[in-house]
Amino acid sequence: MLIGIDVGGTYTDGVVFDRGEVIATTKVPTDDNDIKSTVLQVLDKLLLKQDKSDITRIVLSTTVVTNLLATGKGERTALLLIPGYGLPADAYDISDDTFFLKGGIDFRGRELDPLDEKELIQIGDNIVAAGIKRAAIISKFGNRNDNLEKQASHYMAQHYPQLSVTTGSQISGKLNFPRRATTAYYTAITSKEWNRFVDEIDQALTERGLDCEVHILKADGGTLALDVSRDMPCETVFSGPAASTMGAMALAGEGMNSVVLDIGGTTTDIALLIEGEPLYASKGASINQRYTHINAFAVRSIALGGDSCITVNAGQVEVQAYRRDVAACFGGSSATVTDAFNYKFNLNIGNPELSAAALEQIGGSAMSTEEVGAAVVAIVTNRLQDVITSMFKEWENEPAYKVWEVINKRKFTLEQITGIGAASRAIIPELADAMQVKHFIHQYADVANALGAAVARPTLAVNLHVDTQTKIYTLDPGGVRGTLENPHNFQLKDAREMARKHLEQVGKERGMASYTNESSFFMEEQFNMIGGWDQTGKLFDVGIQVTPGFIEEFKGVKI
Amino acid sequence: MKPTGILFFPAFDWAISPTHPEREERLLYTRDQIFEEGIMDLLQIREYQPGLATAKDIARVHFCVPDVEAQITEAHLVSAGSALRIADAYMEGEIKNGFAIIRPPGHHSKTVSHGNRGFCNINNEAIMIEYLRQKYGIKRVAIVDTDVHHGDGTQEIYYNDPDVLFISFHQDGRTLYPGSGHMDELGGPLAYGTTINLPLAPRTTDTGILYALEKLIMPILEEFKPELIVNSAGQDNHYSDPLADMRFSAQGYARLNEILAPDIAVLEGGYSVQTALPYVNMGLIMAMAGIDYSNLREPDYVPERMRENPANLEYIDKMVKRQLQVFRQREEQIEKNRKTRERFHHVHKQIFYDTDYIHEEQSIQLRLCPDCPGFRLIESTAQHRNGYYYRVYCVSIPANACASCQSEARSCYTDMSGNDRYDLVYLQDRVNNDFRSIDIKKDVEMVL
Ligand SMILES: [Zn+2]
Ligand SMILES: [Zn+2]
Repeated sequence: MLIGIDVGGTYTDGVVFDRGEVIATTKVPTDDNDIKSTVLQVLDKLLLKQDKSDITRIVLSTTVVTNLLATGKGERTALLLIPGYGLPADAYDISDDTFFLKGGIDFRGRELDPLDEKELIQIGDNIVAAGIKRAAIISKFGNRNDNLEKQASHYMAQHYPQLSVTTGSQISGKLNFPRRATTAYYTAITSKEWNRFVDEIDQALTERGLDCEVHILKADGGTLALDVSRDMPCETVFSGPAASTMGAMALAGEGMNSVVLDIGGTTTDIALLIEGEPLYASKGASINQRYTHINAFAVRSIALGGDSCITVNAGQVEVQAYRRDVAACFGGSSATVTDAFNYKFNLNIGNPELSAAALEQIGGSAMSTEEVGAAVVAIVTNRLQDVITSMFKEWENEPAYKVWEVINKRKFTLEQITGIGAASRAIIPELADAMQVKHFIHQYADVANALGAAVARPTLAVNLHVDTQTKIYTLDPGGVRGTLENPHNFQLKDAREMARKHLEQVGKERGMASYTNESSFFMEEQFNMIGGWDQTGKLFDVGIQVTPGFIEEFKGVKI
Repeated sequence: MKPTGILFFPAFDWAISPTHPEREERLLYTRDQIFEEGIMDLLQIREYQPGLATAKDIARVHFCVPDVEAQITEAHLVSAGSALRIADAYMEGEIKNGFAIIRPPGHHSKTVSHGNRGFCNINNEAIMIEYLRQKYGIKRVAIVDTDVHHGDGTQEIYYNDPDVLFISFHQDGRTLYPGSGHMDELGGPLAYGTTINLPLAPRTTDTGILYALEKLIMPILEEFKPELIVNSAGQDNHYSDPLADMRFSAQGYARLNEILAPDIAVLEGGYSVQTALPYVNMGLIMAMAGIDYSNLREPDYVPERMRENPANLEYIDKMVKRQLQVFRQREEQIEKNRKTRERFHHVHKQIFYDTDYIHEEQSIQLRLCPDCPGFRLIESTAQHRNGYYYRVYCVSIPANACASCQSEARSCYTDMSGNDRYDLVYLQDRVNNDFRSIDIKKDVEMVL
């Protein structure tokens, strides 16, 4: 028996899922100030009629870290950057407590300039004097050579034992210094709060006598064991949209090109499935308008939902971003998007007469009920259609760096709109008609998010960079750096093998060994380095991953 | 403020040969550097996806022998197409300026293309400019060739076009490929003074190049008033370039682009793949995007070693004064040429394709028209690498041709279309966007 809990902005949903069927569902309002209690409230409700010993797995998708980052209430952290040459210092607007260190590494991982010990003392003293207890150290090209990051980190740990230090290369091995810096910084500022949350959940589950696997859902739609998540709190951001996308995949099956619309009270999350695979944000999750190295689905959120308020001003119908109440058909006080669709298409939701009355009231003498309804439907379908089209375009316009990628560019042909979330039943059929594609709304569409969390499997991506001339390799995650034993005969197959082994090892450490044999290579690059007219070495970049999918016991949902 | 458009197409799967300077590795470290700097994430930057040029886009500029497909690979279509993509973004007003960091390069490709010259088969800038003239109706364009090698292909394509100003500074042709680009190459009789060359002494530094920029190139641009400024942006003036011997730095390149303020820059040469390109490309991007580049430099840069020799500065100053005078007297000279010359101006040329080892013989007739820059008739012969000996006849009608030149040129094409002296007869009619060729032996006309 599986439990999935999805903490949303307004409501928290929970499901109990067993052998293809949803056995229990519950929904409570989310208390942003005490997410732990909200989670436990849902859990307790779900457990009311179940035998605790039947529960084998619990997956949580939470907003703890998302909220911390949005409200800026993370722990004060010093950001120590080693940028070397390039962009000016003011390009790095990440933290108010930013310090710049001397030192430089180049793209081959060669050390250009050393650290300056005097400078370190001065900065260390300043940090400690300001009462800061945490620091993140990131060097440009630290992913190719973490020596400077390590030296600075050791130095700080030695001289200022009260300081907890994170380094960029531990957080990510990918190129993009500002994204590594941002990700490391966000990890540092959320670490303390997240660990407290994990402690509390751990304790609460023990108190309830639950002894099953517990996972946290990540932004990439994969899960992470609760304990493992302690070191990577930021991976848990945006897990809500990830949960609904996984839910849609679980319900809709089939590998087609589809768009998933999760239509809630005031927001709609839109994701693309390309041949059944969720599309990732090409620049990583964007948090507070800053890109990160957190792998996340390419989800667009717009302020439009079933409860969005409708107004009429001087004959102009507008759909507002705010919500006043539930839809009039459910006894709400004013007209909403749901009421307009309900009236226009005779959907018979709630009390349809109340929908008509609410529309008539806002139309007043200026507009007929029919006109108001039609205008709202047009506004909503146009807005959704525009966003969907621009998402296709964005995907089609992703840069390409190889000839064959340009020549074989794929076009996105939409085959289906999958609706989930409470308000999708009203809006999706009409939108699909307007876009001339079929639509799909499963009977469990309202709890797809919690269901998606419950059945999602762990994910993991490994990146390897090898330089046979310097004989150095680096592996991510973990910031592993080592020397090649046999650089002269090193081939692409050796690089693949090395990456695969690392994936297996990390998989074992993370308790997901049974999934690592389902991995696939997502990047294989090989370059010959030429000096004069001779080959002097090779460079390899290899990536291998376990993509988002479902746990073994999930065999689909009964219709 | 509009962003700067960047189109990065490193063609990681294309090389002339495995150890050739034009190999897969060329822009690898530039990729590492610009990705690591996160420059594409900045609000000042917008990244563009590569495009694909069509055979017609290429035929608007070149007579490819025997046909477009024979002279290019898919990589060339993407490289040229990417220049078109960034140019569209500029013309549509999406970006304030744009930089196409693309390969393969193109500035050594001339009107007739029998093969690869100086790593180039087709001329990306010319294809872009003719596309823009056709699509958006722009007329006056300035190309500043900042590659260390003379941009002989671009010069030849626009040698008779008074509406395209071509300025090239480069290492003196007596010391470097392709050997041309001398002071007295000033344009054809009806386009005199809109080709300006500045052959610089080896080891010229930032100071010397920026002096020429401020004292010659900028004043000329101001007087010429182009609608579009294109930087044919080679990066082999760099002090570490293995193929040349200049002393230009990343800071120098950044400053040059800040002052020049090109609307569009298109990458040409530059083969110091580790020591120069990552930093020079950063410098160009930062300068074009208006980002402070004072913290940018090459790891091995020592400014003291890059002092300009006063005698060289004096030498540059002399050239600058002379070329400025030529430019300012160009209209008088053109009027004189129109009156004194024959109906047709004849030129005979030999062109060597270094990469493909092809010798081409050309005989050109330029119509000296009183009303327009005139059309060109080109007879070209060359033996290709496959052993086949081609003799072709090409009719080129420029975009600004007058009505009588158009009809006269078109009848030249018709007259030659049955002449079995030739393997192929071509028509390039830019006015009517009509590009066709006849395979004489097969008696088949191909219309693009
Ligand atoms: Zn060059
Ligand atoms: Zn004429």
